Amino acid sequence: MRKTPLLLTLAWRNLWRHRGRTAAILFALALGVWSMVALAALSRGSLESQLKKSIDNLTGHIQLHAPAYRDDPVIEHRLSPPDAPLTEALAHPSIRAWAGRVRVPAVVASERESAGVVLLGIDPEQERKVSFIGSAITSGRYLEASDEPGLLLGRKLAEQLETELGRRVVLMSQDVNNTVADRGFRVVGIFDGEPQAIETGFVFVGRATAQQMLGMGDALSEIVVRADDRNRLEAPLAALRAAAPTLDTEPWSVVEPLLTLTEKVVNVILIVWYAIVFAAMSFGLVNTLLMAVFERTREFGLFQALGMPPRNILGQVLTESVILLGIALALGNVAAWATVRALKNGLDLSAFAEGFEMFGVSPIIYPALTATDVTAANGLVAVLGLVASLYPAWRAARHVPVEALTRV
Amino acid sequence: MGAAALALVAVSLPVRAQPQAVDAPAIIKAAIEYWRDVSSYSVSEMAIHRPDWERRMTIRVWTRGNKESLVRVVAPAKDTGNATLLLDNDMWSYTPKINRVIKIPSSMMNQSWMGSDFSNNDLAKADDLIEQYTHKLLATETQDGRKVWTIESTPKETAPVVWGREIVKVRDDYNLIEHAFYDQAGELVKKLTSLEIKPMGGKVIVTRQRMQRVDKPGEWTEIVVREMKFGVDLPASVFTISNLSNPRE
Repeated sequence: MRKTPLLLTLAWRNLWRHRGRTAAILFALALGVWSMVALAALSRGSLESQLKKSIDNLTGHIQLHAPAYRDDPVIEHRLSPPDAPLTEALAHPSIRAWAGRVRVPAVVASERESAGVVLLGIDPEQERKVSFIGSAITSGRYLEASDEPGLLLGRKLAEQLETELGRRVVLMSQDVNNTVADRGFRVVGIFDGEPQAIETGFVFVGRATAQQMLGMGDALSEIVVRADDRNRLEAPLAALRAAAPTLDTEPWSVVEPLLTLTEKVVNVILIVWYAIVFAAMSFGLVNTLLMAVFERTREFGLFQALGMPPRNILGQVLTESVILLGIALALGNVAAWATVRALKNGLDLSAFAEGFEMFGVSPIIYPALTATDVTAANGLVAVLGLVASLYPAWRAARHVPVEALTRV
Repeated sequence: MGAAALALVAVSLPVRAQPQAVDAPAIIKAAIEYWRDVSSYSVSEMAIHRPDWERRMTIRVWTRGNKESLVRVVAPAKDTGNATLLLDNDMWSYTPKINRVIKIPSSMMNQSWMGSDFSNNDLAKADDLIEQYTHKLLATETQDGRKVWTIESTPKETAPVVWGREIVKVRDDYNLIEHAFYDQAGELVKKLTSLEIKPMGGKVIVTRQRMQRVDKPGEWTEIVVREMKFGVDLPASVFTISNLSNPRE
């Protein structure tokens, strides 16, 4: 009982024998911890916003398709509107809203340009509850009815096509008989989207209008479902699959494999970063402790001569290490937390945004601290830091009094 | 009765040679029918002109009614056999070099036909002018002693046409003299002009036309008709995919 406080006192005093050195290593350790936690928060934040964007944009939480649609999203792979059992399953308590869509590749043409797009035939009321489009119109108006003749065009695409609100564009696609289906549409609304690929990649028309143009009756390309929680989809998934066993019913993580992949890549990058930072940190830590141990060779010899068992010497050096690590972790975490707080309104990287947009990443990052990341960084530094200090501690404990005393 | 009444009107209004066609849609319809006839066979030369090069090819064209056409390249040697089949709005193309018939997908309908200034749509939709537009007679004037109708054709709201309006000039013998395409801001984008009208194949027809984009003054495509026959007896087998890739004439 008495020994621990003694060791602690010794270790504490020892540390401040060289204020400069201790401060330097504390700073280095804290910097390392800060970089680990802050980087984790930034990448999580970016990932989270990417996920949220994608789900809010068009992905939703669950999508239902005809079996081959996801491999080949063409008009042949269509599904009938929900029958009685499926409608019932779609009323599952954890499903907030759902919408049926027509979704096929098409070409939109103006007088001067044409562009490949995805034609989305939507029911304006249903769609408003599952995706971004209902609130994304920045000029003109949103679609008013499923069978209305208007079209919604992205701002960037309108620029590329050299057309504008109120002009007519032509949509061309294949109809159910595989012949050319085309029709003129007046642009009734311009929408803004993020990432920009949303603006250039999609045009929206009324669902009934699209079905009529493509001769598909009341068939749909996909049903998109929005649930309460994107991480708890097992129950609604099971209900939907049971109600429509012939359909391909998948959660967002399968529909958008890139999102899941990005999450994995971020995890790997974080681990690599942790390893690099930790390697640099541990060399500094071990070096500092070794220096302290070498300086005190004779002191340790004296301790031993006076009867202090080697394990206490080991304990003393380890205690020093624990104190160092403890202070550094505290400083690093506080600094990281302060950084995250300071960036609460987002870190704007729009100066480099073009490259970001290409990967569908938003140029403004809102850092997100997660308990897992903080625990991982702290645990890694604490445990491995302690392991690394075993070597200098062991060196210290190994000194034999005579040898220590005879050393010059 | 109707015909008699019309005849009466014709007699009483000697200025109007063809009174049954003074309303704009009828003029357009008559002009297209005059050009297409019941069926036709022609040999034409197409010149694609660019600022630093020019390409010429000779094509043979078969048409029947308003919906069926077949175009086959016969010269130069390297393009020989390239062919296009049009059945209503659908289009197939055949290239002997790869021995493949390709159905032109909707995504390619806006692209250039055989590298010319005509788009696939220009060919496939020529007769859309009848149904997909509303026509208005803007002016009737006299040019070189002949009457010329200027008609403004505005695509209907849902027509698959990108133009804001088209101005068509038709001569009183139903030869199309000019066809100008305006964007929706009212700016001229491209113009098809008839440069030569002369008797051929038993009728007086346009034998040289040029398609030119306004923003590219150095680029145009000219089609010169060398030989023309109207009312030829063409079997249905001409306008088939098998005839597209295996010519049997």
